[in-house]
Order: sequence, then structure tokens, then C-alpha cells
Amino acid sequence: MVEQIVTVTNPLGIHARPSALIVQTASQYRSEVRLIRDELEVNGKSIMGVMMLAAEMGAQIMIKVWGDDEQDCSAALVRAFAVRFDN
Amino acid sequence: MDVITVEMLYRERREQFELSLLAGREGLKRKLANSEIARPGLALTGFFKRFAHSRTQVIGQTEITYLQDLPADALRDRLGRFFSFDLPMVVVTKGLNVPADLTAIAEETQTALFSTRLSTSEFISQLAVYLDGLFAPTTTKHGTLVDVFGVGLLYTGSSGIGKSECALDLVERGHRLVADDIVHVTRKAPKVIIGLASEMQGFHMELRGIGIIDIERLFGIQSVRLQKRVEVEVRLELWDSKAEYDRLGLESKYTTILGVEIPAVTIPVSPGKNITVISEVIAMTHMLKTYGENPAELFSQRLAEELRRRKMSDMYLERDFE
Repeated sequence: MVEQIVTVTNPLGIHARPSALIVQTASQYRSEVRLIRDELEVNGKSIMGVMMLAAEMGAQIMIKVWGDDEQDCSAALVRAFAVRFDN
Repeated sequence: MDVITVEMLYRERREQFELSLLAGREGLKRKLANSEIARPGLALTGFFKRFAHSRTQVIGQTEITYLQDLPADALRDRLGRFFSFDLPMVVVTKGLNVPADLTAIAEETQTALFSTRLSTSEFISQLAVYLDGLFAPTTTKHGTLVDVFGVGLLYTGSSGIGKSECALDLVERGHRLVADDIVHVTRKAPKVIIGLASEMQGFHMELRGIGIIDIERLFGIQSVRLQKRVEVEVRLELWDSKAEYDRLGLESKYTTILGVEIPAVTIPVSPGKNITVISEVIAMTHMLKTYGENPAELFSQRLAEELRRRKMSDMYLERDFE
């Protein structure tokens, strides 16, 4: 299991398009992905779940990944946050 | 496209247009090059610059009155020049008396000259509808066209993906089949694509394992429709875990049929997946969008609004030292 905490840095927060990008990135891997914000834990491969995080700029998100390609998957997701979902 | 001759028009529509051939039977062999219609008033006054001679020429009361007022030599000269062009056909409307010179020169130049009992505007509007239909661009698509809640869904995808089965399921739920396997499409208006079955095929369908069935016979007249505007293309493809499918529906994708953009959706199919209900949702969502409401956009706006509100309240708390 890999756990990483990331901060949302893009001004508009995780709105619809970044959510789609997160889900698409996560879906490329076999690992299970969870995104956790405060009490809310959602599946990183479910677009509705990711949007329900309603993560604004500055919010902190814990990314939890487990599975045989967890390292790559986690790194890819952290990268997506780091480049502000601009791939 | 087939070559359209004056003879074909005369043969097919002489009764509807109330046509009678006055002169120039040889001219029936001439081809109609386009669907346009001209009133040659200005040309008959002697102004032949930009004379649209390749169009069907319609002579009404104004032109006939003008010609009757011309001195005999001027009349012959003007008609001579008029008929020296390669005119497809000339029609005199309202059953007006045709000057003898006009008939004579049409015969001489072997140009088909008709008389119709219809008024000029009535004749022109009926002829335009007929000619537009003949000259409309046409092609065939491999797919299945179904009317779902009044929305024309064109299913495409490789052979055996389940287009016919999907149509059958929809018919069973009360929707209407237009064409299966081969859909003839025509651009009837600048942005309108109409699809219909080939006359020979009708509402027959081939089902793997069963053979040929007749939808109209099995499900009745309410289960079929002769033609329908193609409004959404539904591409069926085998579920591919690597492929990326649209998750939001914020960006509209289009396909182009005969130069007209038609919204397109790609639906991954896998055994046991119910495409019928998805089809109904596609049709209803299309209606919502047509009526100006985009659910994906509205939801996205709601989320963006919430994110902005949260950011503002965070900023306020940060600077609140009371």
C-alpha cells in the first residue's frame, strides 16, 4: 500500500475536467485507488466519487493505492496533481 | 447520381405539374444540370449578361405580356437570342396563350416547351421540391436506424456487434425501426440528413441463428417508420479496458454525414449489457440538449460554484484574527 498526501494547487480546484483526468489516470492501472479528504473516502476510478470530494484550491487529499502496480499508479496520480491537471 | 433528363421529369410528373408539351419533342433528351429555376424576364428585355441559362426557365404572365407588346422583328430577335442558349426546358405557366413565334423557335432549336395550368408561384414551389429531392446528395451507411422517442438513432459498428439485436429490443419496447443493415441517407436540407431503408429490403432484418425476419409482420405497423431524420450516431464497440470512454459528456463529439455534423456517442458493449435502456437515455439526453439543457454542464457548473464558495470561505478564515 502506498499513501501520499497532495495539495490541490490549481485555482479552480478539482472541478469536472480534473476529475476526469484523475479517473482516466487511475484507470490505466490495475491497482485499487482511494482518495480521502477529511472523512470522505472515494474510489479514484469513479468520476462521481472524485467530483464529490469537492476539493477546492488548498485542499489536502490523501491518495491511497494498493495492488501490483501501486508504485507507478501513485506516482502518476501525484504527477497529475503536481502539474495542476495540465497534461 | 443518375442523369436527370427533361423526359424523366415529364414522364414522372406531367400530371402533378399539369404539363403539356407544346413543341421541341427532341429537347426531351436534354439533361437537367441543377435544381435551380429562373424567371428570364430580364433576358427577354435583351439583357443577357449573367443569364442563368442552365436553369429551368419559367415564363409567366409578365413575360408573356411583355413579349406580346414587342414589335414583330424585335420579338423574333429576342426569342432567337434567348433560344440560342442551351436551355434545359422552358415552361409557360397559368395555361397562358403562347405566341406562335415562341412555339416555332422552340421547335426549330429543339428545346422542350411546356405549358402548365398551374400559377407561376405554385409551379415553381412544386418543381423546386421535386428537383431538390432529385439533386439532394445521397449515400448509404452500414448501420441500423431506429426512431427512439422521436429521435433518430443511427447505430454503427462492426458486423456482429449487435446492432440488429439492439433494434429488435427497442422495437419490442415500442420504438420504431426505420432501416436495418443498409441505410440510405439523403441531405434534404442544409443541415438535415434523412435516412430510409432500401425499397427492396423494407423492414426485413437478418438475425444470427434465426435468419430473415419481417419486423412489420411480427410487430405491426406501429413498429416501423418509412423515414426519419438521423439525429445521433451511436457507435457500438467491444469493451476495451485500455480505451478511454467519455466520462463527463461535456465535450460533444460529431460525425460527418454528407457534410452535415451529427452528434456521435461511442458505447462500449459487453455481454449482458443492456444497450436498449442506454439508447433511450441517449435519445432523451439529446432532447434535453435540443431544448437547451445540458445535464453534464449544469452539474459541472454546480461543482465549480461549490469549489469557489469553499475557497472564499477558506480565505476569509485565514485572515480572520478576531
